[in-house]
Amino acid sequence: MEFIHLYAAMAGAFAAAMAGALIFRERPAVANWLAHGLSAAGCLLAVAGAARVFAAGPQAFGLPVDTLFGAVTVRADYLSAFFLAVIGTVGAAASVYALAYSREYYGRRLGSMGLLYAAFLLSMLVVVTVSQVVAFVVAWELMTVASFLLVAHEREKAAASRAAYVYFVMTHIGTAFIIVAFLLLVPPGGSLDFAALAAPAGWLRDAAFVCALIGFGTKAGIIPLHVWLPEAHPAAPTHVSAVMSGVMIKTAIYGLARFYLEFLGPGPLWWGAAVLAAAALSSVLGVLYALMQHDVKRLLAYHSVENIGIILLGVGGGLLFASAGLPALAGLAWAAALFHVLNHALFKSLLFMGAGAVLQAAHTRDIEHLGGLIRFMPYTALFFLVGAVAISGLPPLNGFASEWLTFQALVALPAAVAGMAGKLAAAVLVSVLGLTGALAAACFVKVFAMIFLAKPRSEQAAAAREASWLMLAPMGALAALCVALGVLPVWLISLLTGTVAPFLGEGAKAALAEGAWHTAGFRATAAAGAMSPAALVALLLAGLAAAAVAYRAFGRVERAAGETWTCGIVPTARMEYTATGFAEPIRRAFAAVLLPKPDVVVEEDPHHYFGRRMVFHVRITYIFTEAVYRPASRGAVALAQFMKRLQTGSVQLYVGYILAVTVAVLVWSTRW
Amino acid sequence: MSAVEMLTQLVFSLGQAAVLAAAAPLTAGVIKTAKARLQSRRGPGVLQPYRDLAKFLRKGSVVSPTTSWLFAAAPGIYFAAAAGAAALTPVAAALVPGRGAGFADLFMLLYLFALGRFFLALASLDAGSAFGGMGGSREMFIAVLAEPAILLALLTVALPAGGTGLAAMAAAAAGRSWDLAAMFAAGAFFLVLIAETGRIPVDNPDTHLELTMVHEGMILEYSGRPLGLIHWAVAIKQLVMMTLFAALFLPGGPSDWPAAAQAALLAAKVAAVALALALAETLTNKMRLFKVPAFMAVAGVLALLALVAQ
Repeated sequence: MEFIHLYAAMAGAFAAAMAGALIFRERPAVANWLAHGLSAAGCLLAVAGAARVFAAGPQAFGLPVDTLFGAVTVRADYLSAFFLAVIGTVGAAASVYALAYSREYYGRRLGSMGLLYAAFLLSMLVVVTVSQVVAFVVAWELMTVASFLLVAHEREKAAASRAAYVYFVMTHIGTAFIIVAFLLLVPPGGSLDFAALAAPAGWLRDAAFVCALIGFGTKAGIIPLHVWLPEAHPAAPTHVSAVMSGVMIKTAIYGLARFYLEFLGPGPLWWGAAVLAAAALSSVLGVLYALMQHDVKRLLAYHSVENIGIILLGVGGGLLFASAGLPALAGLAWAAALFHVLNHALFKSLLFMGAGAVLQAAHTRDIEHLGGLIRFMPYTALFFLVGAVAISGLPPLNGFASEWLTFQALVALPAAVAGMAGKLAAAVLVSVLGLTGALAAACFVKVFAMIFLAKPRSEQAAAAREASWLMLAPMGALAALCVALGVLPVWLISLLTGTVAPFLGEGAKAALAEGAWHTAGFRATAAAGAMSPAALVALLLAGLAAAAVAYRAFGRVERAAGETWTCGIVPTARMEYTATGFAEPIRRAFAAVLLPKPDVVVEEDPHHYFGRRMVFHVRITYIFTEAVYRPASRGAVALAQFMKRLQTGSVQLYVGYILAVTVAVLVWSTRW
Repeated sequence: MSAVEMLTQLVFSLGQAAVLAAAAPLTAGVIKTAKARLQSRRGPGVLQPYRDLAKFLRKGSVVSPTTSWLFAAAPGIYFAAAAGAAALTPVAAALVPGRGAGFADLFMLLYLFALGRFFLALASLDAGSAFGGMGGSREMFIAVLAEPAILLALLTVALPAGGTGLAAMAAAAAGRSWDLAAMFAAGAFFLVLIAETGRIPVDNPDTHLELTMVHEGMILEYSGRPLGLIHWAVAIKQLVMMTLFAALFLPGGPSDWPAAAQAALLAAKVAAVALALALAETLTNKMRLFKVPAFMAVAGVLALLALVAQ
């Protein structure tokens, strides 16, 4: 099938999903199957379209409408196709998951939820394929509005409507910067098609770079522009959170890639340095904040900030290598970034789906009240564990493969920046990425253990039951993809260098040309490296076999059951380590950044001989919220209060304003 | 690299892992005996860890009914990760040119350790005992602090070698001389080695005092065969870290010696590291947990100084 037919069928499927949700809004079961079933079909068609592009080369066709701003072209080069495939894969999994998950929402405006969900997915798919400024911005805004309304879906909850409002404000600041960035590129009187855009000369080019970084960075959630993300992602229904955290923020990476690879071209060294600085800040602070959360969805949202940071480490490296004229290493760094885009989309949506299954079974997102679910929800636990190992960057799963590439790009930085600066930058950034990985591993030990291990900490957790197979199947598929891409990453890496090669030159492909199916190897002029996930798996299997042999070498295994000795008391869930306790050493070591404020409440009790009830809380301080956003919002309110004085409600005064302005304009226009 | 070549390298590195795994308890015994002698005790002899291991592997175990399959699987995974790291260690690569695993990369090795630690920390929380959780939490905390320092220390070798392949790093390290940078780097990695192997002053492998346990607290719920596997894996990990130290941070030794002589030299270096560890354990006390950040910061600064001095 031709690409244009697949694209039309995809748009048709989403249109039918929207119409079905609208028409059958009074019959939630029908609306659910139509909206989410057809969305899943549309997403699979998007993946098919991407496959078509990779098989047959870049595709383009014009839309048969003539807008006020010129013709609109749909263009799918390899970069677009890659993002189509990412959105389609995660979207399809999330849609199947939604079939079962949205039963929660029967009678709670399911029709509008289905409609918005389909519109949200379609707008993302359009964003990454449309090739005209106005159409891009319209699709971008449609994506924002649809996701805003989905975040506000449970508007009865104050937190949800507040989160949606913060999201709306922040993302519009971002959109303003994106529009400015585009306008800087539009040639005077020229067409608005992407093909006609040209980088301006001089400082305007730098301005376009900065505007794109701020504009798309807001959507991506880089620190300090991230404040909306940990509010908005948890507030949405879980399948929407999975799509928002998994793929929506990646459309911003698509935007950055379009700007930096295609429109702006190689820039000065400080571009890369700026992106790397933002990336380092986002990855470390994001994961530190994540470690301090108890709400599992909020915690996962902060991990998205962290992973955007890891992706941007690749992007920044790519910019540095491109400006130093090293296409092979630039290709390596960009491939690392794009690989991590896909990997994060897979394991983050998997983790969100697992969190949603837990939420539906135990009715709480607070991990301090969970525990022991591995017994009641064995498959959810297994899939969540795969996601946890993958996001911690541990071998042999996909997170390790992309982090390894990112590490290699960072180690090679001295090739781009000569002298001590390059060496120190490489050393610091490598250790930053190592620190991030270690913190993520600590965080996911905490999350997995608190949710799934030991004894249930509440009655509702003890009453949890395994999720429906419609929810388990997409989780299983995503977990399988995490394993597959971790063990055999090589074909994908060469696909990705092929994706960025049109922008960086054929040299970009050269780096990773080496290597067979079992080994990812690269060789550039200044650096070389090889890593074999297949060998890792073989070594691990051999080690497991050796352990099994040693375990059984001396005859039959005797195992006796015996509870943990707790000095004669029957062990209960109240003796277990808590999430707060688990994170305490890290909170203390990073106190200079987190500024924790402990709060101990001791209940007065007349009986001295009994233990007193004590409640311990600890709050951390979000420095950017306190130092930037709170003063800014206070200033905005004060300004509004001041402006209010102009509005007295007196008509005479308003007529006076009109007169004054008219006179002023007359005076100004005569240049008296 | 062809598949056949790959398989040959794999088999070769598995053989190396078997040798290191067999020698690992001996290193632990050497450290123990040296420590005992330094403290005017006789000690149980260098072969005691083998006897302990044989005993553990014969015994049955008591398992809390609260635990899940993860608790049962974790010792195996921890052992496999340590054995995998032993296979990647640049021993053969340093002795016989072209015989090392061409795919062995320092991030692979470090992240194998991280994988084992991840599962053992999960298992520590599985039985629901407070000591287990405390040990797991502290182990992950120390890992968080050690990870940047260990990467910085290893980069002092990797950056001049032009890559993170362990074979290339070992080859580059062998040719270095004992200059200021090498001394700083060796100092940095020695501190990291102490933290990673859980020795005094960061952790005390011999303690069972509740408030000071880190690694021992984490594995408190284990008994019998699984505990034996964990002890063995810890010994392997310790030997791997010591071998990395000897191969990458202790230059010296002519490269034209035959392989057997070089192997003997490497073994001597590892033995010297073992003695140094025993001496350090005798001269210092275990520090408070919240002093460990400063300790690891010293290691990081030393590594940065080594980079600047190069």
